Amino acid sequence: MPSKQAHIRKQLVAYSFIAPNFIGFAVFTLVPIVFAVALAFLYWDGSNPIEWAGLANFRDLLDDDQFKAALKNTIVYTAGTVPLTLISSLFLAVLLNQGIKGRNFFRTVSFFPYVASLVAVAAVWNMIFNPSKGPVNMLLYTLGFENVPGWAADKDWAMITIILFSVWKYMGYYMIIYLAGLQGINPELYEAANLDGTNAWQRFRYVTVPQLSATTFFVMVMLTIQCFKVYDIVYMVTQGGPGTATLVLVYDIYNKAFISWNLGSASAVAMVLFALVLIVTLIQFRGNRKLQ
Amino acid sequence: MKKVLTIVLVLSLVFTSVFAAGTKETAAQASAGETTLKWALWDIASTTYYEPLIKAYEAKNPNVKIEMLDLGSADFMTMLQTQLSGGDSSIDVVTIKDIPGYNNLVKRNLLLNLNDKIKSEGVDLSLYGGTTDQISVDSKLYGIPFRSDFWIVYYNKDVFDKAGVAYPDNDMTFAEYDALARKMTSGVGANKVYGAHYHTWRSAVQLFGILDGKNTIVGGTYDFLKPYYQMVLNQQKDGVVQDYATLKTSSTHYSGVFYNNSVAMMNMGSWFIATLIDQIDQGKTEVKNWGLAKYPHAEGIPAGTTLGTITSLGVSNASKKQDAAFDFVKFVTGPEGAEIIAKTGTIPAIKNAQVVEIIAAKPGFPTDQASRDALQVAKTYLEMPLHERAGEIEVVLNQVHDEIMTNNISVDAGIVKMNDQIQKILAK
Amino acid sequence: MQVQSIQTKTITTILYILLILCALAMLLPFVWMVSASLKLDKDVFTFPIEWIPSNPRWENYLEIWTTIPLGTFIKNTAKLTVIVTLLQLLTSSFAAYAFAKLEFKGRDLLFLGYVATIAMPWQVYMVPQFIMMRSFGLNNTHLSIIFLQAFSAFGVFLMKQFYMSVPDELCEAARIDGMSEYRIWAQIMLPLSKPALSTLTIFTFVNTWNDFLGPLLYLTRMELKTVQIGLRMFISQYSSEYGLIMAASVVALIPVVIVFLSLQKFFVQGVATAGLKG
Repeated sequence: MPSKQAHIRKQLVAYSFIAPNFIGFAVFTLVPIVFAVALAFLYWDGSNPIEWAGLANFRDLLDDDQFKAALKNTIVYTAGTVPLTLISSLFLAVLLNQGIKGRNFFRTVSFFPYVASLVAVAAVWNMIFNPSKGPVNMLLYTLGFENVPGWAADKDWAMITIILFSVWKYMGYYMIIYLAGLQGINPELYEAANLDGTNAWQRFRYVTVPQLSATTFFVMVMLTIQCFKVYDIVYMVTQGGPGTATLVLVYDIYNKAFISWNLGSASAVAMVLFALVLIVTLIQFRGNRKLQ
Repeated sequence: MKKVLTIVLVLSLVFTSVFAAGTKETAAQASAGETTLKWALWDIASTTYYEPLIKAYEAKNPNVKIEMLDLGSADFMTMLQTQLSGGDSSIDVVTIKDIPGYNNLVKRNLLLNLNDKIKSEGVDLSLYGGTTDQISVDSKLYGIPFRSDFWIVYYNKDVFDKAGVAYPDNDMTFAEYDALARKMTSGVGANKVYGAHYHTWRSAVQLFGILDGKNTIVGGTYDFLKPYYQMVLNQQKDGVVQDYATLKTSSTHYSGVFYNNSVAMMNMGSWFIATLIDQIDQGKTEVKNWGLAKYPHAEGIPAGTTLGTITSLGVSNASKKQDAAFDFVKFVTGPEGAEIIAKTGTIPAIKNAQVVEIIAAKPGFPTDQASRDALQVAKTYLEMPLHERAGEIEVVLNQVHDEIMTNNISVDAGIVKMNDQIQKILAK
Repeated sequence: MQVQSIQTKTITTILYILLILCALAMLLPFVWMVSASLKLDKDVFTFPIEWIPSNPRWENYLEIWTTIPLGTFIKNTAKLTVIVTLLQLLTSSFAAYAFAKLEFKGRDLLFLGYVATIAMPWQVYMVPQFIMMRSFGLNNTHLSIIFLQAFSAFGVFLMKQFYMSVPDELCEAARIDGMSEYRIWAQIMLPLSKPALSTLTIFTFVNTWNDFLGPLLYLTRMELKTVQIGLRMFISQYSSEYGLIMAASVVALIPVVIVFLSLQKFFVQGVATAGLKG
């Protein structure tokens, strides 16, 4: 039976672990965020006195074409990017976890897009997917396709272009997380499965996937959040265009905050974004718990 | 594991101690009686007039030092406004890059109202050719223009000579301009010559529409843009100009297009004159001989009617050295500053005959009379007039322009979209 | 027996083909980048692409050091990145241990606070944060970027996920042996989490190295700026000088690649081999 003192001591030890990170985090991130949350209910241009707005900032969103387009695009982008990245990074990690020659090389190579500066790779990507003279369309022409996609310049293809680019850029990043997860699987499990005479797919399905469920959950949550927060990729590849075809929520936030200097309205959009992420994450938490 | 940790730790210690010197504040200690002014601007390395302006001013005022603060051109107005947010006094002199940004600065109470100082210091606003009226808010002036660029047509003389076609003259209607562009288009593949070139900015195409003075771009109805969009889209379809979508996705810079002899004419702002001269001088271009012509105009409108872009200087409301800052602003925007700016091939806001002479006399400027005459402007309309909702309107105009030019929406549907969305913004 | 080995061979071949295709897709843009960095600006966008320039312009790599103070920028970025990475590793693994293995009041709530902020786009609180930092006198110091980056919720989240997979019995046994929580963290958890730590190192390194908007906002004085701002300066001031832009991009890429190459072997030695079995 632990005494009360010992209990308090235990608590203090725990807090001492958290303190170094939490103090920095609270001061430099949490406080500004709380302030930003409050802004959603205020009118502020970053300079003049702050005024009370109540729910007006949210009400205005109901009739805001920019916001509506951005909301729809963000959901489409997330729904497209999350599963594609998840599957391809898992696939890549499993491939690279085999004892094959040159896997260090392949591992390094697949991490390249992630480490490279976005400014540079976006320029290259745009060149390669250039609708009229890019090598991708040139190849499609020679293969006999008549109607080649307009990629970033076509309303219907722009989002697909952004999604493909995101998968390409971030696949390596999540592949690394999966690799670390794969390293954590006890090899005895595979040995046991081998003795049972299972094939590769069965081992993948009944050993790898369940053993990776914690990693998958982590990857899924991070990916979802990252997708909802996408901004720089869109900025570099399509600037939200053509028209509003790839305008996403953070892009709208940026416009509202730094073009109109309507910080309250920008915060209101952020709250919607935040609520979306929260809902999706909670659903994932639920699913995760059920699985375990 | 321990070994790894130790290595990492030692390495980091070495790193930090080596680089610690970098963090130390190396701010120059101002000697007694010396005022240091901080001037927020962009692209120090590629702008030729900052240095001579500062040198000239410091020579005249030995106890004042001007420090430049480069906030970069791409996000200049955003960066500037963020730096000024919440009352920062470290910036004294502010460069105002565009009108929506200026409008925000004024609305957000970040700029000093210069009316009193203009009066007491006797600044002659009549020198500025009416541009100061265009940026007055409720008859208060928060900035004084120091550069006043306008749009002109650049053409490649060699390309015209080769085709045996006369150079564009200083009095072209849009129909004549269209016909000339089509006539100049020739060749395929590597020998392809485009008759004209439009950069991907909205201004390069959309704003043909406001030059007859009957409509403004913040009016809420945009039906007047139709003929101009149709002209440009047809040119695009017929291969007279490069495809907008290609230019946009490859982020092609207009200068590169003009440098490599593949376009006959290009409409662009006068800021390109200085760059063009400089780049030809450095041997970085294939184009050798070029000329200037006045902007094309609608039927019945005088030649020399064109688009204008004003760049102004203001004083930060939070600056603690407002008098000194205004004195510097007065110098840069005044006749002395204008002369220095003109010598670098840039068009100053004070545009008298002498200034035009200086620019035309700059080595590398075309020597023919027609190109000199092209610098004479009859009337300019601002790319974006002062309007309370200029920022939001601009967002919509850019989006729809993009959609129309990439053929993702018809001209008519695009105009309907502009009308709808902008009227909604105006009604707020 | 014979059949099976043929089957394995086919599978291996398919595996390699897949991998080579992936590698090509990943690498081609970089090959293009390097090749463009050795060209004249006007040749960069010629088609068909000339992969190996006939007249490589090595001058591009000399010119970039003089057109902007790239050396200073790299030094600044290296300094920031190293400090941020160390702080991040230390504080995150420390906090994550408590979240994963200790019971205390408000644990779930605090953790939710961390997770919730991950979901908040930086653009939302950028202005309040900037005003606050400046009122602390941190504008135009490297400290601002360090504070901005070093205490990210992401690090705590990632480390906690990994610690969760370590069996509680391991800690319990150590406690029974009379080890303090600090020693358990230092002597048991930290060595076990080598793969997670290297993962976090790489991510933090890459993020800080490639961060753009933060330095752009906070570091306006030339002698403080970082590589990414340098790249951006190149692009905005010499917007058509693609050769130079690409040369600068290649130079900016090198340090990150070195860090990755030197750390990646730690991924291979996994949790399993590092401690669980022994």
